[in-house]
Amino acid sequence: MTLAQIADGQLAPRLGIKLDNISKRYGDHVVLDDVSLHVEPGTVTALIGPSGAGKSTFLRCINLLERPDSGTIQVAQHTIQPGKDVNSRDLAALRRTVGMVFQSFNLFPHMSALKNISFPQQKVLGRSKEEADERSMQLLERVGLKDKAHQHPSRCSGGQQQRIAIARALALNPGIMLFDEPTSALDPEVGLEVLAVMRELAADGMTMIVVTHEMQFARDVSDTLVVMADCRIIEQGDPRAIMSDPQETRTRRFLRAVLER
Amino acid sequence: MDALSAVLQGLPMTITLTLSAFAIGIVGAIPVAVGLSSPKLPIRLASRLFVDFVRGVPIIVWLFLLKFGIQIGTFKFNPVGAAIVGLGVVSVAYLAEIYRGGLQAVPRGQGEAADALGLTRGTAFYSIMVPQAFRIVSPSIATYLTGLLKDSSIASTIIVTEMVFQSQAFARQHPTVEGILPYILVGVIYIALSLPVAYISRRLDSRMRKAVYA
Repeated sequence: MTLAQIADGQLAPRLGIKLDNISKRYGDHVVLDDVSLHVEPGTVTALIGPSGAGKSTFLRCINLLERPDSGTIQVAQHTIQPGKDVNSRDLAALRRTVGMVFQSFNLFPHMSALKNISFPQQKVLGRSKEEADERSMQLLERVGLKDKAHQHPSRCSGGQQQRIAIARALALNPGIMLFDEPTSALDPEVGLEVLAVMRELAADGMTMIVVTHEMQFARDVSDTLVVMADCRIIEQGDPRAIMSDPQETRTRRFLRAVLER
Repeated sequence: MDALSAVLQGLPMTITLTLSAFAIGIVGAIPVAVGLSSPKLPIRLASRLFVDFVRGVPIIVWLFLLKFGIQIGTFKFNPVGAAIVGLGVVSVAYLAEIYRGGLQAVPRGQGEAADALGLTRGTAFYSIMVPQAFRIVSPSIATYLTGLLKDSSIASTIIVTEMVFQSQAFARQHPTVEGILPYILVGVIYIALSLPVAYISRRLDSRMRKAVYA
């Protein structure tokens, strides 16, 4: 069984997502300036760019951890206009559809690895403890951490914690996964084990949007490369094409800085 | 041993006052702490006013006000009632502030993770935030409890027959050197009562730390 099939459980449909004209400002400070992005089902989109470009904020707008001031989000037959009041049903549907993995893992420190993965299943999907635990164990085995099931997160390395966090998100059968710099808090070597899990997930056809500084991963795994700078998307398209022949000078400058160091 | 038995007569009352006020505080502080960290300004402001107002006035003043200043119809507080309510309300204010500090010390990512997973606000609060906040504040709560134990002696001023009241009564009846003895005894008893609280709290704290962070 592949990772995505385990993630599916009852085989959730691959979903795409359309974000249109997303804008966000803090007071006078513009963070996102009319950003639009359409993601096809089953594709991997890598979001790169200099820090302060708005990548993470944009990603966090997708599941409304940040509330954009205006724009439209369309996912799984729901159209959400975050500038206006979002009803709780749409918000719940959005959060159920979209899984997220954070730079700092954000596992619950007072729960074992197993409970970290089972608890949300019980609360959000209404699974029984037995059902939830069974699935949690499948996922833990898949990310290579079955023996850590009864350990608390603090007993696990960063790479292990991040893999547990991925399992926790997958356990809810998301149609789309968001990754916010999932390896930035990890040693390069440890990051590899997380990237391996992500590659596998991508190969299984999960829709993924990944904010990352891992250029190799962006080039090899993503279907679409999106370059953000100054609160906007300045370039997007085939990752190899952009990396070898960027159209924008800002992209060229950024790529030179990250690739030729 | 007259002095000792006189002082010990007040022991049940001291314990009753302390535990009743503490129980009121532990429960009552929850909504106030939530109010203190509410995103809605009026709620936050009202909670803040309540806490600062209650904490700003000395406990002895609260007890006098409750005992002698309140009459609703034929209802008046008896000394014990006034002491329990007074100490209880003060505990609500202090513990609310302790809770708020604990809740704010829980890393922001915890709430974000709960949101991203689609947990409801209530579940996130009670199953994610509160258990972590409790680990952070349990030593402060124990410290408050030992403080409250000693503050309960202020109730002697409104004629609640707790230990200090009994010591004073004994001293008044024995205006010799013996009169100092009950104060020494009562001091020792307060220490004897505080020690187990401190000990249990330290044990609890280190056990939770070991379970979670080791």
